[in-house]
Amino acid sequence: MTEGLAHLDYIAVVILFAIGLYVVLTKQNLIKKIIGLNIMETAVFGLIVTSGMVDGGSPPLLGQGLEPPYASPIAHALVLTGIVVALSVTALALVLILRVKAECGSIELDELLEPDE
Amino acid sequence: MSSLAHLLPLTVLLPITAGVLAPALFHRRGLACWWWALAAAILTFATTVTLWRQLQSGSTISYPLGGWPPPYGIELVFDGLAALMLVLCALSVLILLAARRYVEATVPSSRQSLFYALILINLGGMNGFVAAADLFNLFVFMEIFSISAYALVALARGPVAALAALKYLLVGAVSSLLVLLAVALLHAQTGSLNMSDVAGLLAQAEAPGASALALGCLVVGFLVKAAIFPLHFWLPDAHASAPSPVSALLSGLVVKMGIVGLVRTRILFAEAEIVPLLMLDNLLVWLGVIAILAGAVLAMVQRELKLMLAYSTVANMGYIALGIGLATPSAVSGALAHTVYHATIKTGLFLTAGSILLCTGLSRVDDLRGLGQRMPLTSGALVLGLLAATGIPPTAGFVGKWQIALGALQAGQAWVIGVILAGALLTLGWAIRVINSLFFRPPARARVITANEAPVSMLVPSVLLAVLAVSAGLGGAILLGLVEPLALAIVGADHDH
Repeated sequence: MTEGLAHLDYIAVVILFAIGLYVVLTKQNLIKKIIGLNIMETAVFGLIVTSGMVDGGSPPLLGQGLEPPYASPIAHALVLTGIVVALSVTALALVLILRVKAECGSIELDELLEPDE
Repeated sequence: MSSLAHLLPLTVLLPITAGVLAPALFHRRGLACWWWALAAAILTFATTVTLWRQLQSGSTISYPLGGWPPPYGIELVFDGLAALMLVLCALSVLILLAARRYVEATVPSSRQSLFYALILINLGGMNGFVAAADLFNLFVFMEIFSISAYALVALARGPVAALAALKYLLVGAVSSLLVLLAVALLHAQTGSLNMSDVAGLLAQAEAPGASALALGCLVVGFLVKAAIFPLHFWLPDAHASAPSPVSALLSGLVVKMGIVGLVRTRILFAEAEIVPLLMLDNLLVWLGVIAILAGAVLAMVQRELKLMLAYSTVANMGYIALGIGLATPSAVSGALAHTVYHATIKTGLFLTAGSILLCTGLSRVDDLRGLGQRMPLTSGALVLGLLAATGIPPTAGFVGKWQIALGALQAGQAWVIGVILAGALLTLGWAIRVINSLFFRPPARARVITANEAPVSMLVPSVLLAVLAVSAGLGGAILLGLVEPLALAIVGADHDH
């Protein structure tokens, strides 16, 4: 494997993270901002999962005739917890967007921040 | 491990369990739920007091969760920084005490149990955050107190609150993701999550670039949490539009967690010695200086009392960042002392502002003219708090600023003293405006003339905190003595080289 391809996963993660951050920062639609947040989260989870991978490693199970080196099992536990956290944040954000829509009549940030009166 | 160490996970589990159970047990029974929450908070406080006395008599308390020893198991520690729990719990008890009347008046009865539940979960998350010894739990507890804080802001009525909560959530979620990214990078390099273990392994890491990136992500993430200028933009709206007891909780306690995170990061990277920390220190000094001036000026131009207090938090977080950035023992111990003192002062101020808002329904300083005659105790508490915020000796605000100024002299940066003085004078400027309006102007609003003194359950915490804010500076030597070992640990690592 060439040097560049060996780090393909890291490059993908950086690109995904940048896309997510761009969406969060520039889009005015609140739902799109949340989608951007989720893209960033996916990028970080991808990094954690791939960092636990060991080239030629076997699944981290004892007593199955598997030989070391094992892949790191911690990464998966971290990502599972991370997904739960991300889900709660997204759920809360969507509820808040519903309330903003009900009370202010819009979910476009530029319209919301414009003084109506 | 002594049997007392088992109390350590209790400081996290007790408030979170009580918080999760509260809505199930006390739906539509706000008063019973308040007693439940108060009892849980007081028990947690008692637990931290016991732990703290153990810490005073011996060494750091460490608890391996589930009996799995670190570095593989999850470790909780009760060290000098975790002793901040004592302040967190004590102030939470006072906030809960003051919250009852406010909640009864403003939160619908179906939501009251949720309010108390979220406050307890928030307290548990903060306790876990200061005690976490591994990076991933640091992140998890950060999310627990952050998410409960977003929800607490959203509990206020009105369209501003929902939008402010959403803004807070977006900024907070991005900063949390930066922290998670840093955790991922450090884990990828070292294969460990325990902070002291990571610090040791990081020294032999192959890619200093990735460590520097991790440091950058952690610093930016925690700077957002600590609302250090220019990353403070989410704070004023969220803190000012939240229900007042929540403002007290957020402004007094939750923003301090960003500082705890910064200190933990700094200790980790100082031990690893892989990235020079001079740039980080300089960054903190500059951001601190800008925050002090900008926060004080922005507070001055506000008309709403709670917005003034929120911007004053921005300025005070600047002092703390400045103290840590100067990286001399006195400056850092000043910053740590100011963290405790500012928590006390600002909690008291927001609780007092909450009483005024509840009793008069008015929030603009100009509308509050003459309130000193109708609500002398509450107004008096506000004045004492404001004087403490300016840092007039011997109030609580003075000790930290004095120590930071001394630290600036030691660091050879005497110009910083000018900034500290300017910040104090600017604060005095808007504080005098409020004091003048309350006591020396005739009432302009009918609601002020008909207002009555706040109920006792709100008066007691406000007055107690105000008296503490004014007199606690006299005990400054004791507090500085307590934080000194920690301050030496924070700066010690790079003074050896």
